[in-house]
Amino acid sequence: MATAQVPQSSSAHAAQQRPPLWRDAGVLKWFAQIVALVLVVGTLWFLSTEAVDNLEAGGISPGTEWLNGPANIQLSEGIDTVPNSAGRALWSGMVTNLRLAVIGIILSTILGLAVGLARLSNNWLANKAASIFIETLRNIPVLVQILLWLTILTSIGALTPDRGPISGWLIISQKGVSGPRIFLADGFYQWAVLMGLAGVVTYFVRKSLNAKRDREGGTSQAGKATVAIMGVSAVVFWFINPIVGFLGTPLQAISDGWGGIPQPVMQAILSALAAGAAVNWIRRFLNSRRTPAGLAKLTDDDYFRMIFAGIAALLAVIVLWRWWPGLSSWIINSGSDFWQVAADKFGDGRGARPLDGMKPTVSEGRFANYGPTGWTLTVFAAALLFGLVFYTASFIAEIIRGGILAVAKGQTEAAAALGLSRSQALRKVILPQAFRIVMPPLGNQYLNITKNTSLAIAVGLSDVVQVGQSLANKNNQFLTVFAIWMLFYLACSLTISLIVNTINARLAIVER
Amino acid sequence: MTASFTDPNAALSPELAARDDMINCRGVKKWFGDFQALKGVDLTVKEKEVMVVLGPSGSGKSTLIRCINRLEVHQEGNIIVDGIELTNDLRNIDKIRSEVGMVFQQFNLFPHLTVLDNITLAPIWVRKKPKAEAEATALELLTRVGIPEQANKFPGQLSGGQQQRVAIARSLAMEPKIMLFDEPTSALDPEMISEVLDVMKTLAESGMTMVVVTHEMGFAREVADRLVFMEEGNVVEINEPEGFFTNPKSDRTKLFLSQIL
Amino acid sequence: MAAIQDDLSMNLEAGGVAPDVRPDTPVKDPVQWMKENLFSSVGNALLTGVFVAVLGGLLWWFVGLVFKDSNDWDAVATNIRLLFSFNYPAEQYIRVWFSLGMLLGAVSLTAAFFDINPSMSVRKLGINASGLGATSLIVGVLPATPSGARIVFLIIGALFLAAGVGTLQAVDEPHKKFVSFPTMLLTFGLSVVAFAWLVPIGRNEFANGAVIDEGGFANPSTKIPWTIMMAILVGVYFLARAVKPMLPVKPVQTFLITFWVAGPAFLIFLVLRDPTFDYDRVLKVDIPWAIGFAVVGGAILYWLTKPMLGEIGRLVAVALLGVAVLNWVAAFFGWWSMLQKTRVSFLVLALFALAAPTFAGEKSARVRYVGAWVAVVALGHWLITGINTTSTLDIAAPPFLGGFTISLVIFYYVMLVSFPLGAIMALARTSTLPIFRVMATVYIEFIRGIPLITVLFFFSSMVSLFLPNGMDLSELAAIFIGYTLFSAAYVAENIRGGLQSVRRGQFEASDALGLTTSQRTIFVVLPQALRVSIPNLVGQAIATFKETSLIFIVGAFDFLRVANVSIASQPDYLGQNLVGLLFVSAVYWVFAYSMSRASRSLETKLGVGSR
Repeated sequence: MATAQVPQSSSAHAAQQRPPLWRDAGVLKWFAQIVALVLVVGTLWFLSTEAVDNLEAGGISPGTEWLNGPANIQLSEGIDTVPNSAGRALWSGMVTNLRLAVIGIILSTILGLAVGLARLSNNWLANKAASIFIETLRNIPVLVQILLWLTILTSIGALTPDRGPISGWLIISQKGVSGPRIFLADGFYQWAVLMGLAGVVTYFVRKSLNAKRDREGGTSQAGKATVAIMGVSAVVFWFINPIVGFLGTPLQAISDGWGGIPQPVMQAILSALAAGAAVNWIRRFLNSRRTPAGLAKLTDDDYFRMIFAGIAALLAVIVLWRWWPGLSSWIINSGSDFWQVAADKFGDGRGARPLDGMKPTVSEGRFANYGPTGWTLTVFAAALLFGLVFYTASFIAEIIRGGILAVAKGQTEAAAALGLSRSQALRKVILPQAFRIVMPPLGNQYLNITKNTSLAIAVGLSDVVQVGQSLANKNNQFLTVFAIWMLFYLACSLTISLIVNTINARLAIVER
Repeated sequence: MTASFTDPNAALSPELAARDDMINCRGVKKWFGDFQALKGVDLTVKEKEVMVVLGPSGSGKSTLIRCINRLEVHQEGNIIVDGIELTNDLRNIDKIRSEVGMVFQQFNLFPHLTVLDNITLAPIWVRKKPKAEAEATALELLTRVGIPEQANKFPGQLSGGQQQRVAIARSLAMEPKIMLFDEPTSALDPEMISEVLDVMKTLAESGMTMVVVTHEMGFAREVADRLVFMEEGNVVEINEPEGFFTNPKSDRTKLFLSQIL
Repeated sequence: MAAIQDDLSMNLEAGGVAPDVRPDTPVKDPVQWMKENLFSSVGNALLTGVFVAVLGGLLWWFVGLVFKDSNDWDAVATNIRLLFSFNYPAEQYIRVWFSLGMLLGAVSLTAAFFDINPSMSVRKLGINASGLGATSLIVGVLPATPSGARIVFLIIGALFLAAGVGTLQAVDEPHKKFVSFPTMLLTFGLSVVAFAWLVPIGRNEFANGAVIDEGGFANPSTKIPWTIMMAILVGVYFLARAVKPMLPVKPVQTFLITFWVAGPAFLIFLVLRDPTFDYDRVLKVDIPWAIGFAVVGGAILYWLTKPMLGEIGRLVAVALLGVAVLNWVAAFFGWWSMLQKTRVSFLVLALFALAAPTFAGEKSARVRYVGAWVAVVALGHWLITGINTTSTLDIAAPPFLGGFTISLVIFYYVMLVSFPLGAIMALARTSTLPIFRVMATVYIEFIRGIPLITVLFFFSSMVSLFLPNGMDLSELAAIFIGYTLFSAAYVAENIRGGLQSVRRGQFEASDALGLTTSQRTIFVVLPQALRVSIPNLVGQAIATFKETSLIFIVGAFDFLRVANVSIASQPDYLGQNLVGLLFVSAVYWVFAYSMSRASRSLETKLGVGSR
């Protein structure tokens, strides 16, 4: 029998022979990757030590201490135009960016939606106008548009004390727009807590009313009850909100307790969290590879992933204890500060009014300017906003048009067959579906508008980039400034993609 | 009793038994994550043998032949093709891939290249043949599979049957010692199946070593030297065609045949 | 020439029906059309009213903006050279014309040899002309228009409207007839020439106020070169079409692609910059080095491309790469000195050696590979020597390029360099090797999360910090590197989309045929992936083009800075930013809009969008 020549049963097979290392595909694969990793990390390490050496040779030691030092710059606008520290100046710049981004996102969405719908209109003129809007604005660089707006807006007329259109209420001039300002007053947070309570009560009332309707039929009174409870609460609590002033005391206690945590304890807690996360990940990973017949064969990649999770946890621990022990104390301090700020919002002797308002004023003098009382949009911010909003809206309009057109024609026809009118079909059938298609590219545009707020520097508006640039020009701390820019924008990008992804997930569930 | 009809050398005619081994699988095991696709396969394919692999879907037939030219990496056991063991050795992988041709269910022609370029790509860049020679061979092969006039068309312009014949010609252009067929007719319209099977029959007659995964029972019966029946990652039966269809030894084979015939 | 005659006569007389072009929609009766599209219902009519008011108001506002009393359009007219070529000396301007002529000639050759011939239906032409005429007439009657310009707008409006309506009326079934590309090209060339010679455009003077030509036509230093440019554009096209049947098409196409990749560098660094070669040194040092590299490198590569060389070839290639990298490390630490181009040559040679097994083959393939190396050495050494030689140009400020030229050059090179970088990163991100994947993902997502301006600031102000003592990089080069690294991340994302669309079976078939991983990538995967990503890549290119305006913020003398700062600070035109910015917008718009139109027609042609 021929069976004698080769081992026959599966238990008797010979072990695979290992090829020489330089021909082993598995070894080479890892060798190449590790060499690439070492090269990249090595180059980065070399360049950064080089940079630090060069800086120190010039008498500058890169670090973050200077952020607590004096800023010595004045900001064109923002929450704090004469900041007392460099860190505060950068923070003020960030708030300006965020404000511009939020306003820009809202306005460009509204405008983009309007233009996108006009682009789909049966009316030839509306269609053409939308198409001209889109094709013109999206093909001109946004920076050029911003500078154009700045040039146009700065030539609309000088500011005088009695300038209109509605003198004393709404003032438009080459310095910008100023109008009445409504702001959060002392009692707001006390009022907000009470309104939250009212909201909880409303929720339970609605639930019981709806249950009653389900039991007995008829129409539910939930809507009316909501309006009644919330309305009455809003008015009543407006006046009696100081009754929750006592909340200040427990919040103060939390703040003190948080601030009292010793640094090693915080480091230990964070290290335990990192290690726990890694162990948990590895355990879950192994579980996913477990079969009724025992643990499945693990591939190279599987081992790599587990090793990487371990290394990541180890790195985190090293960072916490060795490289950046300040992180823990920062978490302790800022946590304590946070609760302190919250505690300060409550207390006796606070004015009861949650909201307040003021009329715009114009400062007297040779160079008239807007006073601090009103809500003011400077001409620089206006130019930036106009540029960003028009430019981004032209992209959003195209996205919305594409999304609506992508909803199957059958859906439109089905809606028509059910007797829905065109606008009903649009609102109830097409838009909800189009929304899902539109969301990811829309999120991308929101990201773009957020990143483009950095163009503020072109109009001399004090955003984080402009402030950082002028600080770094003074003290040459470019490395730190650049790191702060990166962290800020990465945080923004991450937040926006998180929001978009959450909405996307929600929509997917709704559809099912 | 069980051992005898899953013996890798079972049912060999004396003529075949005398020949050299072309493919030798011993205890081949393969996991996809936590799913074990091959549970220790022993199989021998002799030189110039035509072996047809049958089995229900998910039985591991495709995985087995994809392991033979290392499109999938087996984790335990040995696969020896033409005396070369399949390991992580780069030199062996290259050598085996250029000696083992493969035809896929979905043809997998390169859509951006003409039929001629599809066929000459590997001979020129892997076998390092001069372009003119590669093209001459390609035209000859196209004539052999019956579509010389389609040389300058793109795959998208051909029918499914024509595409599969181009795919066969593309594999043959590498002058392989072994051809693997992974359900070559499953994606074809019924009227095109025979044109592809005819090409395969001619190939078998010309003495090519072939391992064919297929559901075409007629082809299996007519062309195969031996049939292998697989189920759930195991070889259940190895038999010569007449015996397989008229007198299957395993109960599982009987059940399968009763469902399919 | 007979072929051309046929071509033209067919197109002009019979209206030339292109067989593979889909007919346009037929022309409708105007009254019927208005009823359907503007007044189909009460709501629709109301909407029409609203939009008439909105559009009219906007047009009024815009015309007012353009013709504002405080605007001095002479600021643009007299600074036109400053805007486009910045400080380039007038006496050397022939170099600019030469470069432009080369580019236009290459455009024509490319159109002829790659069969690029977009056409337009007669209906569309007629409607566009009528629309332009009508808009012009409306502008003519608006009160905001100054009286001097009013008559021009009215005349042009009337002419275009008459021509447009006349065409629609006179031609039977205008939606089925097409104006061919040669006709459009010829018309374009003739219009430019006619405009240059026949239209009185007023006073001409240099930026310093020296009057060249008082009241009248364009001056000869403008109109003669433009006539020649148009002659090149049109002439080369027709000549190329005439000789095309006699020439092998493939080599010409290869030559054209090479020109578009390497040509601009020559125009910039050898023609425009005009290096003063020291021929003694060139003969004694530069040429021997080049020959040495070509011969020795060629021999090594010829050996390396031997089929079935095995691991020895790879080891030699890796060793060469080690030497090349070591040269750079040595430069950083100052161990030994070396001509920069020698270092570059070693690196390129190592890359060629690494790629050698992929392109190995029989004799003719090997000779071709060595030929490519010799060509790269010859061109590269010529170029690098040119760049490192001082220029004859008499320019006060160092950048010899500025204005729109530098915007275009930055755009072109950013796209050219970020494309391969992006492709590599996309491949790494879709790779099965986890470390590569993680590194590429981190890089791409990091870059995509931050604004371009911060990257530009980083590079313009900090790159010198990262270099060891004694090494320096010009600010423009630093900006270019930063922009390229930024753009590469976006290119990578676009190519990744294409890579993901390549089916698994393509990889398996390539593996089964025995192709190596790099052969599989180059011959099978990338061609398919790129085809899918072309529309997105063009969109990316348009974005990159528009964002070249950001180099203004980091202080480069680009198009935007010249318009917004340089001109506006000239004593004669103090504060004239508005006209400059309007002009810049118009130029950017024309380029970006043409690119997006071209991309859309390409998309239809490739059938990508419809899938």
